[in-house]
Amino acid sequence: MIKGRSYWADSLRQLRKHTLAMYSLGIIVVYILVVMFIYLANWTKTDVSFLDWNQQVGKEYEKPNKQNILGTDFLGRSVLRKTIYGARVSLTIAFWASIISILIGVPLGAAAGYFRGFIDDIVVWIYTTLSSIPYILLILAFALVLRGKTLNLNSLGLGTISLSGISTVYLAIGLTSWVDICRLIRAEVMKHKQREYILAALSYGCSNSRIIFRHLIPNVFHLIIISFSLRFVGFIQAEVILSFLGLGEKNSPSWGAMIDAARLDLPKGYWWEMTAATAAIFLISLALNIFGDALRDSLDPKLKVQ
Amino acid sequence: MAGCRYSAEKPDPNDTVLYSSHGAKVRGLDPGDIGDTTSTAIASQIIEGLYQYHYLKRPYELIPSLAEGMPFVSKDGLAYTIKIKKGVRFADDVCFNDGKGRELRAGDFVFAWKRIADIKYLSKNWWIFDNKIVGLDEFREYTKTCKRTADVDYNSPVEGLQTPDDYTLVIKLKKPWPQIVYLLAHLPTAPMAQEAVEYYGKDIINHPVGTGPYKLKRWHKGSYIEMVKNPIFRDEFYPSEGEPNDARNGLLADAGKKLPLTNRLVTVLIQEDPPQWFLFLQGKIDVSGIPKDNFSEAIDLRRQLTPEMQARNIKLFTFRDTSTYWFGFNMEDEVLGKNLPLRMALSCAVDRDKYIELFTNNRGEPAYGFIPPLMSCYNPDIKNIAQTAYNLQNARKLVKEAERIYGSKLPRLTLAMPGTDIVFRQHGDFLKRYFKDAGLDVEIDYMDWPTFQNKIKTKSAQMFALGWVGDYPDAENFLQLFYSKNVSPGSNNFNYSNPEFDRIYENACVMPDSPERDALYKKAEEIVIKDCPAIFLTHGVAFVLTHDWALNVKPHAFAYGTSKYRRVDPVKKAAYSELLRTLK
Amino acid sequence: MIAYIIRRLLYTIPIIFGVLLVTFILFNVVSGDVSDQIAGKAASAETIAEIRAEYGWDKPLFLSWDSQFINHLKNSLTFDFGRSWSDREPIIDKIKQGALPSLSLTIPMFIGELIISISLALIVAFFRGTIIDILSVFICVVLMSVPFLSFILFGQYFLAFKWGLFPVYFWPDLPLPQYVALPILIGIVAGLGGNLRFYRTVMLDELRNDYVRTAFAKGLGTGTVLFRHVLKNAMIPIITQVVLAIPFLFLGSLLLERFFGIPGLGYLMIDAIAARDFQIINAMTFIGAILFVVFNLITDICYSIVDPRVSFE
Repeated sequence: MIKGRSYWADSLRQLRKHTLAMYSLGIIVVYILVVMFIYLANWTKTDVSFLDWNQQVGKEYEKPNKQNILGTDFLGRSVLRKTIYGARVSLTIAFWASIISILIGVPLGAAAGYFRGFIDDIVVWIYTTLSSIPYILLILAFALVLRGKTLNLNSLGLGTISLSGISTVYLAIGLTSWVDICRLIRAEVMKHKQREYILAALSYGCSNSRIIFRHLIPNVFHLIIISFSLRFVGFIQAEVILSFLGLGEKNSPSWGAMIDAARLDLPKGYWWEMTAATAAIFLISLALNIFGDALRDSLDPKLKVQ
Repeated sequence: MAGCRYSAEKPDPNDTVLYSSHGAKVRGLDPGDIGDTTSTAIASQIIEGLYQYHYLKRPYELIPSLAEGMPFVSKDGLAYTIKIKKGVRFADDVCFNDGKGRELRAGDFVFAWKRIADIKYLSKNWWIFDNKIVGLDEFREYTKTCKRTADVDYNSPVEGLQTPDDYTLVIKLKKPWPQIVYLLAHLPTAPMAQEAVEYYGKDIINHPVGTGPYKLKRWHKGSYIEMVKNPIFRDEFYPSEGEPNDARNGLLADAGKKLPLTNRLVTVLIQEDPPQWFLFLQGKIDVSGIPKDNFSEAIDLRRQLTPEMQARNIKLFTFRDTSTYWFGFNMEDEVLGKNLPLRMALSCAVDRDKYIELFTNNRGEPAYGFIPPLMSCYNPDIKNIAQTAYNLQNARKLVKEAERIYGSKLPRLTLAMPGTDIVFRQHGDFLKRYFKDAGLDVEIDYMDWPTFQNKIKTKSAQMFALGWVGDYPDAENFLQLFYSKNVSPGSNNFNYSNPEFDRIYENACVMPDSPERDALYKKAEEIVIKDCPAIFLTHGVAFVLTHDWALNVKPHAFAYGTSKYRRVDPVKKAAYSELLRTLK
Repeated sequence: MIAYIIRRLLYTIPIIFGVLLVTFILFNVVSGDVSDQIAGKAASAETIAEIRAEYGWDKPLFLSWDSQFINHLKNSLTFDFGRSWSDREPIIDKIKQGALPSLSLTIPMFIGELIISISLALIVAFFRGTIIDILSVFICVVLMSVPFLSFILFGQYFLAFKWGLFPVYFWPDLPLPQYVALPILIGIVAGLGGNLRFYRTVMLDELRNDYVRTAFAKGLGTGTVLFRHVLKNAMIPIITQVVLAIPFLFLGSLLLERFFGIPGLGYLMIDAIAARDFQIINAMTFIGAILFVVFNLITDICYSIVDPRVSFE
C-alpha cells in the first residue's frame, strides 16, 4: 500500500531535493539572521563592533586592503560594516511592503472572487484604476505625498506614527503593489468556488466567513507564498530607485544610498562602495529568484507526478 | 545679396565656437523675473544693464556698460543723473518694425522697472526697488487696484523716474542708497523693449531681446542652448589693463580687440556629474558654463591637480567667492535663543578645517564671522573675537554650562537640511559625528528646498543649513541679514534682533564707501558675532577648470556676462585629440 | 459581439473617472497650492495671492460649479494642463516635444528586446532540461538581480568613456542613432533577464500541454513542434504582454534619458519629481493612464473577436 502524502509534505520533499534552492535558502536565512541580529543589538543597546558603521576605521576613501576588506567611504568608515548594516533597511522595507500588499490584496481579492456582484465590481474598479497609472509614477506620487505627514492611528490604539524615511518608502510601495496579488487571489477563488468541497460546505450551512478563512484561503496560500518570495526582490530594487530620487532612508546606511553615492564616486575612480552594495543586492536577489522558482515548481499542482 | 543665402549653409572655416555645460535647467530668460544662477548666466550674454564690472581689475570695480559714464550724484545723495550711450540698438528681432532693432532710450529702463513694480507681473525681483524710489511704491499700489494686466497704464508718471530726454535718466531716491550702482549692474535692472513685451507676451521668457554681444539662436529646452554673435553689437573692446599678473598669464594678449571674440556659444545641459566630467575630459567641453560652477563634486582635488589632469594640460583657477556658509540658529527658539553657551558649544564642536578638506577640496577658508575676506571691511581678528574655534574641550565645558542654564539634560536638537541627495547626506553624517563627540544630540532633518524655505519663513526651523552669496562688493548686503526689520518672512532667517546693531546698521548703510563706514561695519559685525547667532563655517573659494586652449578665462565673483571675452585656440584644441591618443 | 464592445467601452468611463479622482486627490488635495514656492524667496503676500488666483488654488476643492475638481476634470479631458509654473511653458507642449525622443529610445529597445528574448527563449526551450537550459536560467537571474542604476553607471563608464565605443552623452548636431545606441544597448541587456525568463516560462508551459504530447507521439521532432505549434499558441500571451507594454513606451526610461541626455518624457518626469512639480506629474500620470486604458480596450476587443467565449462573461 502506498502511504498517502499530504500536499505540503510532498512539496517540501520535492524542494529539499533541489540542491541549488537549498543553498539559496541558506543565503536567505543568513541575510534574515543578520537583520534580526541588528534589530536585537539595537533593542538591547549592545555595542557590537562590526555593526558600528559610523566609526572611523581608516583614512577617507581607502581602497580595499587587508585592514578594511571593502575599503572606506568619504568619512573613513568601513564599507563592509555599512554593507552589513544596510541589509536592515533593504530587508525591512521589502518585508513590510510585502506584508502591506498582502494584507490589502488578499482580503480584497478573496471578497471579490467569493461574493462577486457589487463588491467584485468595486474592487475590480479600484485595482483597474490603480493599475492604469504607471507604477513608478504612482509610487513616487505616494512617497512624495506621504513625506512628513503623521498617521493618526489612535483609533486603532497604536498612537501616532510619524512618517519618515523607511516608513514612507514601504508604505508607498505597499499601498501601490497589492494589485497583482489581488487579481491572482480573485481568479483562484472564483475557480475554487465551483469546486465540490465548497458546494458541499455551502450545502450544510457553513457561513461565508468560515468558508473563506477555513477553506479558501488555505487552498490559495501557496500562491501567496510564491508571490511573496518573487515580489520581495522587486521591492529591494525599488528601494534603490527611491533612494536615487531622494526619498529613502537617510540616517543609516542603505544599499540604495551607497549606489547613489557612486554618482559622485565613480568619476573620481572610487568603485568599491558601489560594488559592495551591488553585490549585496545581487546575492539576495539571486537567492530569492532561485528559491522562489523552486518553490513555485514544487507547489504547482500541475507539476505533481501522479 | 544672393550669395548671402547660400553662405549660411556652408560651414564657415572662420567660425569659432565655445562649448560649455550647465548643470541645472534654464527657467526663463526674462530679466525682470529672473531668479536662478543658470538663467542669469545665459541671459547675461544677451542682455546688458547700465553698468558692469571690469573683467580684469581687482579689487572689483564698476565701469559703464550702457551708461555713458558713472552717475552724477547730488550732494544729498538723493538724486542720480545717468547719461545713456547714444546709438546703442536692440538686436534685430521680429518684434520691431521691419525687424530692425530700435535704438535704446532712457525710457526703456523706466518701463522695465515699472514692470517689476507691477504686481500683475508677479516679479520675484521687487525686493531690489522696495521702498527705494520716490513714487514707485505708489505705482505698485496703483497696479494692485487694476483688475487685469492690460488695465495697467504704464504711462502713469513716477516722480522718481524721469527722462528729461531720450538719453538721460534721473532717479530720485527716498533716502540715500549708495549700493544702487551695484544693483544697476545686476541683470534684473536691465532695460526692456516695450515692443518685445507686447509682441511676445508671456512667451518673452523664451525670446530675450537685448543689447548684448550675443543673440539667442536655438534653444532646445532641456537639452542645449546656442547663441550667436550679435552683428549690430555696439563697439566694446577687450580691456587693456588689469592686475599685475594678468599680462604674464596671457590675459592681455587680446587687448583692444573688438568684442565678442567668439562667434558662437553652445551650452549643453548635463544634470548628472559622471557624463559632465567624462565630456570635459574628452575635450568636448571647453570650460564650465557658469562662472561659479565647477566640477567639485566630480573630482577630488584634495592635494592638487591629479597627474591625470596635468597630463591633459587642464588648468585650475581658484578665486575667492564673496560667500559665507553657516548653520544658523533661530534666535526665537525656546531652547537655543536664550542659551549662549549652547550656541557657542555647537560652534566649537565643528572642525572647520576637516570640513574644508572633505567638502571643498581643501580650497575654502574657515569663517568665524559673516563678512567675507574679499570685502575691505573684513576683520582679520574675527577669530579671536568670536571664541568659537574648533576645540572639543571647550565645547564640552560649554555644554555643561548650557545644561546648567537649561536646568536639566539638553533635549534633542534638530538641524534642517535643504536637500535630500547624497551631498547633503554626507554633510549630515559629518556633522553628527562631531556633535556626538562634544556630547550634543542633534538630529538632521533632510527636506526638499520648498519645504525648507517654508520652515524658515514660518520660523519653525531650530537650526538650518544655509549661506549667503554676496550680490555685490558692499558688506551692507550681508549686514541686512541681521537687521531686525528683516525678520522672517524676510531675509533675517536668524530672527536676530539687537537695537544697538540696528542703530549702527541704519547709519552705516546710507554712507558712501569710506574708512569710517568700514569701521562701522566692523563694529556691527562684532556685535552680532558676540551673540553667536550661527555656526559660521566657511567662506567660499570657488574654482574653475578649463582646458589650456580656452583663453582669457579669469574667474569673476560677480559678473556673469563674461563669455564675450573668451575664445578658443583652434590649433591647441586640435592637438588635444592627438594628446588623448598618446595617453591611452 | 457588438454588445460586448459597447459594454467594454462604457466600462472605460468609470475607470477614467477613477483615474481623475486619484490624481486629483494626490496632486490637488494632499499637495496643490505651491504659490509661495513659485513666488520665490522675498515675495510679498500680495504676489503670493496673485499667483494663487492665477492657478486657481483659491477656489473650493469640490463643492461648487467652479471648484478645483471640476476644473481638473475639464482640463484633463481636454488635455489642457495649463502652463508650468517653473518656466511658464504650456505643459502639453512639453509633452509633445518629449514624446519623439523618448520613443526613439524605447521603440528600438522594445523591438530589440522582443526579437532577442523570443529567439533565445525558443532556443532554450529546444534544449530544455539540458545544461544550457539551467545555465540560461542562472544568467537570467544574474541579470535580473543587478540594479538598473549599476548597469547604467558601469556601462557609461566603460563602454563610452574608457573604451570609447560610443558617445558618452547627447551632443548638439550629433546624429540621433549615435547617441541613442548605448542607452538602447544597456536597456536591452538590463531587461533581457526578466524577458527571457518570462518567454521561456510561456514556451515551457505550452510544451506541457496535451496537444504537444500528441505531436511528439506522432513522431514530430522538437524543432517542428516548437515552430509550428508552440510558437503560434504562445503568441496569445506574448501579444497580450506586448500590447499592454506599448503605453509604457511613451514614458521613456527615466534613468537612461537622464544619464545620456535624451530630452524625452522620462527626463521631463524626473525633473518634475525633483522640483516637486505636481502639475507635470499629474499630466503625465493622466496621459499614461489613458493610453493604458485605450490599449487594454483594444486588446480585449481583439480577444473577443478571436475567442467568442470571452464575450459571454
